Amino acid sequence: MNVFLHELKSYRKSTIIWSISMAALIIFFLSMYPSFSSSVSLVKKILEGYPEPIRKAFGISIDDITKFLGFYSYVFSFVVLGGAIQSMNYGISTISKEIKLKTADFLMTKPISRNEILTSKLLASLTSIVITDIIYLVTAYITAESVTKELFNIKLFFMVSVTLFFVEVIFMSIGVLISAVVGKIKSMISLSLGVVFTFYIIGMFQATLNDKAMKYITPFKYFDTEYIIKNSSYDITFVIISILIVLISIFLSYVFFLKRDIHVV
Amino acid sequence: MNIYLRELKANGKSLFIWCIIMIAFVAASMGKYAASSYISGQSLNDIISKMPDAVKSMFGAGTFDLSKAIGFYGAMFIYIVLMAAIHASMIGANIISKEEDDKTAEFLMSKPVSRINVITSKLLASFTNIAIFNIVTLLSSLFLVNYYSKGENVTDDILKLVIGMFILQMIFMSIGIGLSALFKNSKLASPVTVGVMLVTYVLSLAIDIDSNLSGLKYLTPFKYFDAKNLMNGKGFEIIYIVISALIVILCIGGTFVFYQKRDLKI
Repeated sequence: MNVFLHELKSYRKSTIIWSISMAALIIFFLSMYPSFSSSVSLVKKILEGYPEPIRKAFGISIDDITKFLGFYSYVFSFVVLGGAIQSMNYGISTISKEIKLKTADFLMTKPISRNEILTSKLLASLTSIVITDIIYLVTAYITAESVTKELFNIKLFFMVSVTLFFVEVIFMSIGVLISAVVGKIKSMISLSLGVVFTFYIIGMFQATLNDKAMKYITPFKYFDTEYIIKNSSYDITFVIISILIVLISIFLSYVFFLKRDIHVV
Repeated sequence: MNIYLRELKANGKSLFIWCIIMIAFVAASMGKYAASSYISGQSLNDIISKMPDAVKSMFGAGTFDLSKAIGFYGAMFIYIVLMAAIHASMIGANIISKEEDDKTAEFLMSKPVSRINVITSKLLASFTNIAIFNIVTLLSSLFLVNYYSKGENVTDDILKLVIGMFILQMIFMSIGIGLSALFKNSKLASPVTVGVMLVTYVLSLAIDIDSNLSGLKYLTPFKYFDAKNLMNGKGFEIIYIVISALIVILCIGGTFVFYQKRDLKI
Protein backbone atom coordinates (compact mmCIF):
# COMPACT_ATOMS: atom_id res chain seq x y z
CA MET A 1 0.00 0.00 0.00
CA ASN A 2 2.82 2.37 0.86
CA VAL A 3 4.55 1.74 -2.42
CA PHE A 4 1.27 2.31 -4.23
CA LEU A 5 0.65 5.66 -2.55
CA HIS A 6 4.23 6.78 -3.03
CA GLU A 7 4.13 5.93 -6.71
CA LEU A 8 0.81 7.68 -7.14
CA LYS A 9 2.25 10.77 -5.54
CA SER A 10 5.31 10.73 -7.78
CA TYR A 11 3.05 10.53 -10.83
CA ARG A 12 0.78 13.30 -9.60
CA LYS A 13 2.40 16.18 -11.43
CA SER A 14 2.73 14.29 -14.69
CA THR A 15 -0.86 13.03 -14.45
CA ILE A 16 -2.09 16.59 -14.03
CA ILE A 17 -0.02 17.85 -16.96
CA TRP A 18 -1.12 15.01 -19.24
CA SER A 19 -4.79 15.41 -18.29
CA ILE A 20 -4.71 19.13 -18.97
CA SER A 21 -2.89 18.79 -22.27
CA MET A 22 -5.13 16.03 -23.57
CA ALA A 23 -8.25 17.95 -22.55
CA ALA A 24 -6.84 21.09 -24.20
CA LEU A 25 -6.02 19.13 -27.35
CA ILE A 26 -9.56 17.83 -27.74
CA ILE A 27 -11.12 21.23 -27.01
CA PHE A 28 -8.83 22.81 -29.58
CA PHE A 29 -9.61 20.27 -32.30
CA LEU A 30 -13.33 19.95 -31.66
CA SER A 31 -13.77 23.70 -31.74
CA MET A 32 -12.71 23.54 -35.39
CA TYR A 33 -15.65 21.28 -36.18
CA PRO A 34 -18.19 24.00 -37.11
CA SER A 35 -15.92 25.53 -39.76
CA PHE A 36 -14.91 22.09 -40.98
CA SER A 37 -18.46 20.84 -41.39
CA SER A 38 -19.44 23.87 -43.44
CA SER A 39 -16.56 23.44 -45.88
CA VAL A 40 -17.22 19.74 -46.11
CA SER A 41 -20.83 19.92 -47.23
CA LEU A 42 -19.48 21.30 -50.49
CA VAL A 43 -17.27 18.30 -51.08
CA LYS A 44 -20.13 16.01 -50.36
CA LYS A 45 -22.00 17.49 -53.30
CA ILE A 46 -19.03 17.04 -55.63
CA LEU A 47 -18.44 13.49 -54.49
CA GLU A 48 -22.05 12.42 -54.81
CA GLY A 49 -21.78 13.07 -58.53
CA TYR A 50 -19.21 10.30 -58.88
CA PRO A 51 -20.05 6.63 -59.35
CA GLU A 52 -19.88 4.20 -56.47
CA PRO A 53 -16.55 2.43 -57.33
CA ILE A 54 -14.62 5.69 -57.26
CA ARG A 55 -16.13 6.63 -53.94
CA LYS A 56 -15.22 3.22 -52.60
CA ALA A 57 -11.64 3.69 -53.69
CA PHE A 58 -11.24 6.30 -51.00
CA GLY A 59 -11.80 3.64 -48.40
CA ILE A 60 -13.98 5.97 -46.41
CA SER A 61 -17.60 6.53 -47.18
CA ILE A 62 -18.48 10.19 -47.46
CA ASP A 63 -21.02 10.04 -44.72
CA ASP A 64 -18.46 8.84 -42.27
CA ILE A 65 -16.11 11.79 -42.41
CA THR A 66 -18.70 14.49 -42.72
CA LYS A 67 -20.64 13.43 -39.66
CA PHE A 68 -19.45 14.46 -36.25
CA LEU A 69 -18.32 11.02 -35.15
CA GLY A 70 -16.19 10.66 -38.25
CA PHE A 71 -14.48 13.95 -37.53
CA TYR A 72 -14.13 13.02 -33.88
CA SER A 73 -12.48 9.70 -34.61
CA TYR A 74 -9.98 11.40 -36.93
CA VAL A 75 -9.06 13.91 -34.24
CA PHE A 76 -9.16 11.19 -31.62
CA SER A 77 -6.14 9.49 -33.19
CA PHE A 78 -3.90 12.33 -31.95
CA VAL A 79 -5.29 11.96 -28.46
CA VAL A 80 -4.48 8.26 -28.58
CA LEU A 81 -0.93 9.12 -29.62
CA GLY A 82 -0.58 11.32 -26.54
CA GLY A 83 -2.09 8.69 -24.30
CA ALA A 84 0.22 6.04 -25.70
CA ILE A 85 3.28 8.16 -24.91
CA GLN A 86 2.05 8.79 -21.38
CA SER A 87 1.34 5.14 -20.61
CA MET A 88 4.57 3.97 -22.24
CA ASN A 89 6.47 6.42 -20.04
CA TYR A 90 4.78 5.04 -16.95
CA GLY A 91 5.34 1.49 -18.05
CA ILE A 92 9.03 1.92 -18.79
CA SER A 93 9.70 3.95 -15.66
CA THR A 94 8.11 1.27 -13.41
CA ILE A 95 11.34 -0.60 -12.83
CA SER A 96 13.87 1.51 -14.71
CA LYS A 97 13.53 4.60 -12.61
CA GLU A 98 14.52 2.78 -9.42
CA ILE A 99 17.65 1.59 -11.13
CA LYS A 100 18.45 4.85 -12.83
CA LEU A 101 17.91 6.97 -9.73
CA LYS A 102 19.82 4.38 -7.69
CA THR A 103 16.92 3.85 -5.31
CA ALA A 104 16.53 0.16 -6.13
CA ASP A 105 18.73 -1.03 -3.29
CA PHE A 106 16.75 1.07 -0.87
CA LEU A 107 13.45 -0.31 -2.08
CA MET A 108 14.59 -3.91 -2.24
CA THR A 109 15.77 -3.98 1.35
CA LYS A 110 12.29 -3.16 2.60
CA PRO A 111 10.27 -6.05 3.98
CA ILE A 112 8.03 -6.50 0.95
CA SER A 113 8.36 -9.04 -1.80
CA ARG A 114 9.24 -8.12 -5.36
CA ASN A 115 5.83 -9.37 -6.33
CA GLU A 116 4.16 -6.82 -4.12
CA ILE A 117 6.39 -4.04 -5.39
CA LEU A 118 5.59 -4.73 -9.02
CA THR A 119 1.88 -5.13 -8.32
CA SER A 120 1.57 -1.86 -6.45
CA LYS A 121 3.60 -0.05 -9.07
CA LEU A 122 1.44 -1.42 -11.86
CA LEU A 123 -1.72 -0.47 -10.01
CA ALA A 124 -0.38 3.03 -9.44
CA SER A 125 0.36 3.54 -13.16
CA LEU A 126 -3.05 2.15 -14.01
CA THR A 127 -4.74 4.51 -11.58
CA SER A 128 -2.94 7.52 -13.05
CA ILE A 129 -3.99 6.47 -16.53
CA VAL A 130 -7.60 5.96 -15.46
CA ILE A 131 -7.69 9.42 -13.86
CA THR A 132 -6.32 11.01 -17.03
CA ASP A 133 -8.86 9.13 -19.13
CA ILE A 134 -11.82 10.15 -16.98
CA ILE A 135 -10.82 13.80 -17.16
CA TYR A 136 -10.36 13.50 -20.91
CA LEU A 137 -13.69 11.75 -21.39
CA VAL A 138 -15.68 14.31 -19.45
CA THR A 139 -14.02 17.20 -21.28
CA ALA A 140 -14.49 15.59 -24.66
CA TYR A 141 -18.15 14.91 -24.00
CA ILE A 142 -18.92 18.44 -22.81
CA THR A 143 -17.05 19.97 -25.75
CA ALA A 144 -18.75 17.64 -28.21
CA GLU A 145 -22.17 18.54 -26.87
CA SER A 146 -21.44 22.25 -27.19
CA VAL A 147 -19.93 22.32 -30.69
CA THR A 148 -22.39 20.08 -32.52
CA LYS A 149 -25.78 21.19 -33.58
CA GLU A 150 -26.83 17.80 -34.87
CA LEU A 151 -27.47 14.77 -32.69
CA PHE A 152 -24.78 12.17 -32.51
CA ASN A 153 -24.80 8.67 -31.13
CA ILE A 154 -23.62 8.98 -27.54
CA LYS A 155 -23.08 5.27 -27.10
CA LEU A 156 -20.77 5.16 -30.11
CA PHE A 157 -19.01 8.29 -28.90
CA PHE A 158 -18.14 6.55 -25.65
CA MET A 159 -17.27 3.30 -27.38
CA VAL A 160 -14.73 5.16 -29.50
CA SER A 161 -13.39 7.18 -26.59
CA VAL A 162 -12.89 4.21 -24.30
CA THR A 163 -10.49 2.64 -26.79
CA LEU A 164 -8.03 5.25 -25.56
CA PHE A 165 -7.83 3.29 -22.32
CA PHE A 166 -7.39 -0.05 -24.09
CA VAL A 167 -4.53 1.23 -26.23
CA GLU A 168 -2.92 2.77 -23.18
CA VAL A 169 -3.04 -0.49 -21.25
CA ILE A 170 -1.39 -2.29 -24.16
CA PHE A 171 1.41 0.27 -24.32
CA MET A 172 1.84 0.28 -20.57
CA SER A 173 2.27 -3.48 -20.42
CA ILE A 174 4.76 -3.42 -23.29
CA GLY A 175 6.62 -0.68 -21.41
CA VAL A 176 6.76 -2.71 -18.20
CA LEU A 177 8.07 -5.68 -20.10
CA ILE A 178 10.80 -3.57 -21.68
CA SER A 179 11.83 -2.17 -18.34
CA ALA A 180 11.89 -5.64 -16.78
CA VAL A 181 14.02 -7.12 -19.53
CA VAL A 182 16.43 -4.36 -20.52
CA GLY A 183 19.19 -3.74 -18.03
CA LYS A 184 19.93 -0.10 -17.50
CA ILE A 185 17.95 2.33 -19.60
CA LYS A 186 19.83 5.53 -20.15
CA SER A 187 17.11 7.77 -21.43
CA MET A 188 13.61 6.52 -20.71
CA ILE A 189 11.84 9.16 -22.73
CA SER A 190 13.78 8.56 -25.93
CA LEU A 191 13.09 4.84 -25.70
CA SER A 192 9.37 5.30 -25.10
CA LEU A 193 9.10 7.90 -27.86
CA GLY A 194 10.98 5.63 -30.22
CA VAL A 195 8.68 2.69 -29.60
CA VAL A 196 5.44 4.68 -29.66
CA PHE A 197 6.32 6.61 -32.79
CA THR A 198 7.45 3.51 -34.61
CA PHE A 199 4.00 2.03 -34.04
CA TYR A 200 2.33 5.34 -34.85
CA ILE A 201 4.15 5.71 -38.15
CA ILE A 202 3.34 2.11 -39.05
CA GLY A 203 -0.28 2.97 -38.26
CA MET A 204 -0.29 6.08 -40.48
CA PHE A 205 1.36 4.03 -43.15
CA GLN A 206 -1.32 1.39 -42.85
CA ALA A 207 -4.07 4.01 -43.13
CA THR A 208 -2.57 5.55 -46.25
CA LEU A 209 -1.97 2.26 -47.98
CA ASN A 210 -4.95 0.34 -46.63
CA ASP A 211 -2.81 -2.70 -46.00
CA LYS A 212 -4.63 -5.44 -44.08
CA ALA A 213 -1.64 -7.35 -42.74
CA MET A 214 -0.03 -4.27 -41.21
CA LYS A 215 -3.02 -3.82 -38.94
CA TYR A 216 -1.81 -6.63 -36.75
CA ILE A 217 1.53 -4.98 -36.09
CA THR A 218 0.43 -1.73 -34.52
CA PRO A 219 -1.81 -1.38 -31.45
CA PHE A 220 -2.96 1.97 -32.82
CA LYS A 221 -5.05 0.08 -35.35
CA TYR A 222 -6.46 -2.61 -33.07
CA PHE A 223 -9.52 -0.56 -32.27
CA ASP A 224 -10.41 0.75 -35.69
CA THR A 225 -12.84 3.62 -35.16
CA GLU A 226 -14.29 3.16 -38.62
CA TYR A 227 -15.20 -0.42 -37.77
CA ILE A 228 -16.69 0.59 -34.42
CA ILE A 229 -18.87 3.26 -35.98
CA LYS A 230 -20.07 0.96 -38.71
CA ASN A 231 -20.80 -2.11 -36.59
CA SER A 232 -21.21 -0.55 -33.14
CA SER A 233 -19.01 -3.28 -31.73
CA TYR A 234 -15.30 -4.00 -31.40
CA ASP A 235 -13.48 -6.30 -33.78
CA ILE A 236 -13.25 -9.47 -31.72
CA THR A 237 -9.97 -10.71 -33.27
CA PHE A 238 -8.17 -7.61 -32.17
CA VAL A 239 -9.76 -7.64 -28.73
CA ILE A 240 -8.34 -11.12 -28.23
CA ILE A 241 -4.92 -10.06 -29.55
CA SER A 242 -4.89 -7.09 -27.18
CA ILE A 243 -5.80 -9.18 -24.16
CA LEU A 244 -3.13 -11.71 -25.08
CA ILE A 245 -0.47 -9.00 -25.48
CA VAL A 246 -1.34 -7.46 -22.12
CA LEU A 247 -1.48 -10.76 -20.24
CA ILE A 248 1.70 -12.14 -21.75
CA SER A 249 3.72 -8.98 -21.22
CA ILE A 250 2.59 -8.58 -17.63
CA PHE A 251 3.23 -12.23 -16.89
CA LEU A 252 6.70 -12.10 -18.44
CA SER A 253 7.46 -8.91 -16.53
CA TYR A 254 6.82 -10.72 -13.26
CA VAL A 255 8.92 -13.68 -14.35
CA PHE A 256 11.87 -11.52 -15.38
CA PHE A 257 11.63 -9.07 -12.52
CA LEU A 258 11.53 -11.77 -9.85
CA LYS A 259 14.74 -13.34 -11.11
CA ARG A 260 16.53 -10.23 -12.06
CA ASP A 261 19.91 -9.13 -10.79
CA ILE A 262 19.41 -5.63 -9.51
CA HIS A 263 22.36 -3.42 -10.20
CA VAL A 264 23.32 -1.51 -7.08
CA VAL A 265 25.85 1.22 -6.63
CA MET B 1 38.73 17.16 -29.66
CA ASN B 2 38.59 14.37 -27.08
CA ILE B 3 35.11 15.37 -26.01
CA TYR B 4 33.98 15.49 -29.61
CA LEU B 5 35.25 11.99 -30.30
CA ARG B 6 33.88 10.69 -27.02
CA GLU B 7 30.42 12.05 -27.86
CA LEU B 8 30.47 10.61 -31.35
CA LYS B 9 31.29 7.23 -29.92
CA ALA B 10 28.63 7.51 -27.23
CA ASN B 11 25.95 8.27 -29.78
CA GLY B 12 27.25 5.86 -32.39
CA LYS B 13 25.03 2.93 -31.60
CA SER B 14 21.80 4.90 -31.42
CA LEU B 15 22.66 6.76 -34.61
CA PHE B 16 23.26 3.45 -36.34
CA ILE B 17 19.84 2.16 -35.26
CA TRP B 18 18.13 5.36 -36.37
CA CYS B 19 19.80 5.16 -39.78
CA ILE B 20 18.73 1.55 -40.25
CA ILE B 21 15.14 2.44 -39.32
CA MET B 22 15.19 5.34 -41.77
CA ILE B 23 16.52 3.25 -44.63
CA ALA B 24 13.98 0.53 -43.85
CA PHE B 25 11.20 3.10 -43.80
CA VAL B 26 12.12 4.63 -47.14
CA ALA B 27 12.55 1.19 -48.65
CA ALA B 28 9.23 -0.04 -47.25
CA SER B 29 7.31 2.97 -48.52
CA MET B 30 8.81 2.83 -51.99
CA GLY B 31 8.27 -0.92 -52.12
CA LYS B 32 4.65 -0.28 -51.23
CA TYR B 33 4.44 2.26 -54.01
CA ALA B 34 5.55 -0.32 -56.54
CA ALA B 35 3.05 -2.86 -55.25
CA SER B 36 0.14 -0.49 -54.81
CA SER B 37 -2.63 0.39 -57.17
CA TYR B 38 -1.68 4.04 -57.05
CA ILE B 39 0.26 3.65 -60.25
CA SER B 40 -2.97 3.63 -62.19
CA GLY B 41 -4.57 6.15 -59.90
CA GLN B 42 -4.79 9.01 -62.36
CA SER B 43 -8.54 9.49 -62.09
CA LEU B 44 -8.32 9.41 -58.32
CA ASN B 45 -5.84 12.25 -58.43
CA ASP B 46 -8.26 14.35 -60.45
CA ILE B 47 -10.95 13.99 -57.85
CA ILE B 48 -8.67 14.63 -54.93
CA SER B 49 -7.36 17.81 -56.50
CA LYS B 50 -10.84 19.32 -56.48
CA MET B 51 -11.31 18.91 -52.75
CA PRO B 52 -10.85 21.61 -50.14
CA ASP B 53 -7.72 21.38 -48.01
CA ALA B 54 -9.60 20.19 -44.95
CA VAL B 55 -10.66 16.98 -46.61
CA LYS B 56 -7.40 16.47 -48.42
CA SER B 57 -5.50 16.48 -45.17
CA MET B 58 -7.86 13.87 -43.78
CA PHE B 59 -6.96 11.54 -46.59
CA GLY B 60 -3.35 12.09 -45.68
CA ALA B 61 -2.11 12.76 -49.15
CA GLY B 62 -3.82 15.54 -50.96
CA THR B 63 -1.75 17.52 -53.37
CA PHE B 64 0.66 14.87 -54.46
CA ASP B 65 0.45 12.93 -57.66
CA LEU B 66 0.48 9.47 -56.16
CA SER B 67 0.90 7.82 -59.52
CA LYS B 68 4.49 9.11 -59.66
CA ALA B 69 7.23 7.77 -57.45
CA ILE B 70 8.26 11.26 -56.37
CA GLY B 71 4.69 12.24 -55.54
CA PHE B 72 4.32 9.17 -53.39
CA TYR B 73 7.61 9.97 -51.70
CA GLY B 74 6.40 13.51 -51.05
CA ALA B 75 3.26 12.21 -49.38
CA MET B 76 5.33 9.95 -47.13
CA PHE B 77 7.86 12.69 -46.41
CA ILE B 78 6.02 14.08 -43.39
CA TYR B 79 6.77 10.85 -41.50
CA ILE B 80 10.42 11.03 -42.47
CA VAL B 81 10.50 14.60 -41.18
CA LEU B 82 8.76 13.54 -37.99
CA MET B 83 11.37 10.88 -37.34
CA ALA B 84 14.19 13.30 -38.04
CA ALA B 85 12.62 15.86 -35.69
CA ILE B 86 12.38 13.33 -32.86
CA HIS B 87 15.98 12.28 -33.39
CA ALA B 88 17.25 15.85 -33.49
CA SER B 89 15.37 17.02 -30.42
CA MET B 90 16.44 14.01 -28.37
CA ILE B 91 20.09 14.56 -29.30
CA GLY B 92 19.88 18.26 -28.55
CA ALA B 93 18.12 17.84 -25.24
CA ASN B 94 20.34 15.01 -24.04
CA ILE B 95 23.81 15.99 -25.07
CA ILE B 96 24.38 18.52 -22.30
CA SER B 97 21.84 17.47 -19.72
CA LYS B 98 23.01 13.87 -19.60
CA GLU B 99 26.19 14.87 -17.79
CA GLU B 100 24.18 16.07 -14.83
CA ASP B 101 21.67 13.23 -15.13
CA ASP B 102 24.35 10.58 -15.09
CA LYS B 103 26.32 12.47 -12.46
CA THR B 104 29.35 12.83 -14.70
CA ALA B 105 29.26 16.64 -14.84
CA GLU B 106 31.65 16.86 -11.92
CA PHE B 107 34.21 14.70 -13.68
CA LEU B 108 33.90 16.60 -16.94
CA MET B 109 34.12 20.06 -15.41
CA SER B 110 37.22 19.26 -13.42
CA LYS B 111 39.13 18.61 -16.65
CA PRO B 112 41.29 21.39 -18.01
CA VAL B 113 38.85 22.49 -20.68
CA SER B 114 36.69 25.59 -20.58
CA ARG B 115 32.94 25.35 -20.59
CA ILE B 116 32.87 27.07 -23.99
CA ASN B 117 35.13 24.36 -25.25
CA VAL B 118 32.86 21.65 -23.85
CA ILE B 119 29.76 23.18 -25.41
CA THR B 120 31.45 23.69 -28.75
CA SER B 121 32.59 20.09 -28.95
CA LYS B 122 29.18 18.83 -27.92
CA LEU B 123 27.47 21.08 -30.45
CA LEU B 124 29.76 19.84 -33.19
CA ALA B 125 29.13 16.24 -32.18
CA SER B 126 25.33 16.68 -32.33
CA PHE B 127 25.71 18.50 -35.62
CA THR B 128 27.73 15.61 -37.01
CA ASN B 129 25.09 13.13 -35.86
CA ILE B 130 22.32 15.08 -37.50
CA ALA B 131 24.29 15.55 -40.67
CA ILE B 132 25.04 11.83 -40.93
CA PHE B 133 21.38 10.99 -40.37
CA ASN B 134 20.42 13.51 -43.02
CA ILE B 135 22.93 12.21 -45.55
CA VAL B 136 21.78 8.64 -44.99
CA THR B 137 18.20 9.75 -45.62
CA LEU B 138 19.26 11.63 -48.73
CA LEU B 139 21.24 8.76 -50.22
CA SER B 140 18.66 6.09 -49.49
CA SER B 141 15.89 8.30 -50.88
CA LEU B 142 17.86 9.19 -53.99
CA PHE B 143 18.68 5.59 -54.69
CA LEU B 144 15.25 4.12 -53.97
CA VAL B 145 13.07 6.78 -55.55
CA ASN B 146 15.26 6.79 -58.65
CA TYR B 147 14.92 3.05 -58.82
CA TYR B 148 11.12 3.26 -59.05
CA SER B 149 10.73 6.50 -60.96
CA LYS B 150 11.16 5.09 -64.46
CA GLY B 151 13.77 7.54 -65.58
CA GLU B 152 12.13 10.72 -64.40
CA ASN B 153 14.38 13.31 -62.82
CA VAL B 154 13.72 13.23 -59.10
CA THR B 155 17.06 14.45 -57.77
CA ASP B 156 16.09 18.13 -57.57
CA ASP B 157 12.92 17.51 -55.60
CA ILE B 158 14.55 15.16 -53.16
CA LEU B 159 17.44 17.57 -52.62
CA LYS B 160 14.99 20.36 -51.84
CA LEU B 161 13.03 18.23 -49.40
CA VAL B 162 16.08 16.93 -47.60
CA ILE B 163 17.64 20.39 -47.30
CA GLY B 164 14.38 21.57 -45.75
CA MET B 165 14.52 18.63 -43.39
CA PHE B 166 18.07 19.51 -42.42
CA ILE B 167 17.08 23.03 -41.40
CA LEU B 168 14.22 21.54 -39.38
CA GLN B 169 16.64 19.18 -37.63
CA MET B 170 18.90 22.14 -36.81
CA ILE B 171 15.94 24.02 -35.33
CA PHE B 172 14.88 21.19 -33.03
CA MET B 173 18.43 20.35 -32.03
CA SER B 174 19.17 23.93 -31.03
CA ILE B 175 15.87 24.24 -29.16
CA GLY B 176 16.82 21.09 -27.24
CA ILE B 177 20.31 22.34 -26.41
CA GLY B 178 19.04 25.80 -25.52
CA LEU B 179 16.40 24.46 -23.16
CA SER B 180 18.78 22.06 -21.46
CA ALA B 181 21.19 24.92 -20.77
CA LEU B 182 18.38 27.16 -19.56
CA PHE B 183 16.54 24.84 -17.18
CA LYS B 184 17.86 24.53 -13.65
CA ASN B 185 16.63 20.96 -13.45
CA SER B 186 18.40 18.93 -16.11
CA LYS B 187 15.67 16.26 -16.08
CA LEU B 188 13.14 18.70 -17.53
CA ALA B 189 15.06 19.30 -20.75
CA SER B 190 13.99 16.30 -22.80
CA PRO B 191 10.29 16.17 -21.80
CA VAL B 192 9.89 19.88 -22.56
CA THR B 193 11.72 19.66 -25.89
CA VAL B 194 9.61 16.69 -26.89
CA GLY B 195 6.54 18.60 -25.74
CA VAL B 196 7.47 21.54 -27.97
CA MET B 197 7.99 19.19 -30.88
CA LEU B 198 4.66 17.41 -30.39
CA VAL B 199 2.71 20.64 -29.94
CA THR B 200 4.15 22.12 -33.12
CA TYR B 201 3.46 18.88 -35.00
CA VAL B 202 -0.17 18.81 -33.87
CA LEU B 203 -0.45 22.51 -34.71
CA SER B 204 0.74 21.86 -38.25
CA LEU B 205 -1.95 19.19 -38.61
CA ALA B 206 -4.57 21.58 -37.24
CA ILE B 207 -3.56 24.21 -39.79
CA ASP B 208 -4.17 21.64 -42.51
CA ILE B 209 -7.68 20.97 -41.26
CA ASP B 210 -8.80 24.52 -40.62
CA SER B 211 -7.56 27.16 -43.04
CA ASN B 212 -8.63 29.92 -40.63
CA LEU B 213 -5.60 29.00 -38.56
CA SER B 214 -3.11 29.58 -41.36
CA GLY B 215 -1.87 32.72 -39.59
CA LEU B 216 -0.30 30.43 -37.03
CA LYS B 217 1.96 28.77 -39.58
CA TYR B 218 4.91 30.87 -38.46
CA LEU B 219 4.73 29.17 -35.07
CA THR B 220 5.39 25.64 -36.26
CA PRO B 221 8.65 24.63 -37.94
CA PHE B 222 6.85 21.72 -39.59
CA LYS B 223 5.15 24.26 -41.86
CA TYR B 224 8.35 26.11 -42.77
CA PHE B 225 9.45 23.55 -45.30
CA ASP B 226 6.23 21.90 -46.29
CA ALA B 227 6.74 19.14 -48.83
CA LYS B 228 3.91 20.31 -51.06
CA ASN B 229 5.18 23.89 -51.21
CA LEU B 230 8.75 22.79 -51.87
CA MET B 231 7.78 20.43 -54.67
CA ASN B 232 5.01 22.39 -56.32
CA GLY B 233 7.07 25.31 -57.43
CA LYS B 234 7.01 27.67 -54.48
CA GLY B 235 10.43 26.54 -53.30
CA PHE B 236 12.08 27.93 -50.21
CA GLU B 237 10.46 31.05 -48.85
CA ILE B 238 12.87 33.65 -47.58
CA ILE B 239 10.78 34.52 -44.53
CA TYR B 240 10.96 30.95 -43.19
CA ILE B 241 14.69 30.73 -43.74
CA VAL B 242 15.10 33.96 -41.77
CA ILE B 243 12.91 32.70 -38.93
CA SER B 244 14.77 29.40 -38.81
CA ALA B 245 18.13 31.14 -38.74
CA LEU B 246 16.92 33.38 -35.92
CA ILE B 247 15.70 30.43 -33.85
CA VAL B 248 18.95 28.53 -34.31
CA ILE B 249 21.16 31.54 -33.57
CA LEU B 250 19.11 32.57 -30.54
CA CYS B 251 19.08 29.10 -29.04
CA ILE B 252 22.74 28.38 -29.60
CA GLY B 253 23.78 31.86 -28.47
CA GLY B 254 21.59 31.39 -25.41
CA THR B 255 23.24 28.06 -24.70
CA PHE B 256 26.69 29.63 -24.47
CA VAL B 257 25.44 32.48 -22.28
CA PHE B 258 23.40 30.34 -19.89
CA TYR B 259 25.81 27.47 -19.62
CA GLN B 260 28.69 29.76 -18.69
CA LYS B 261 26.77 30.90 -15.64
CA ARG B 262 25.14 27.62 -14.81
CA ASP B 263 25.16 26.19 -11.30
CA LEU B 264 25.82 22.53 -11.85
CA LYS B 265 23.73 20.17 -9.78
CA ILE B 266 26.08 17.56 -8.45
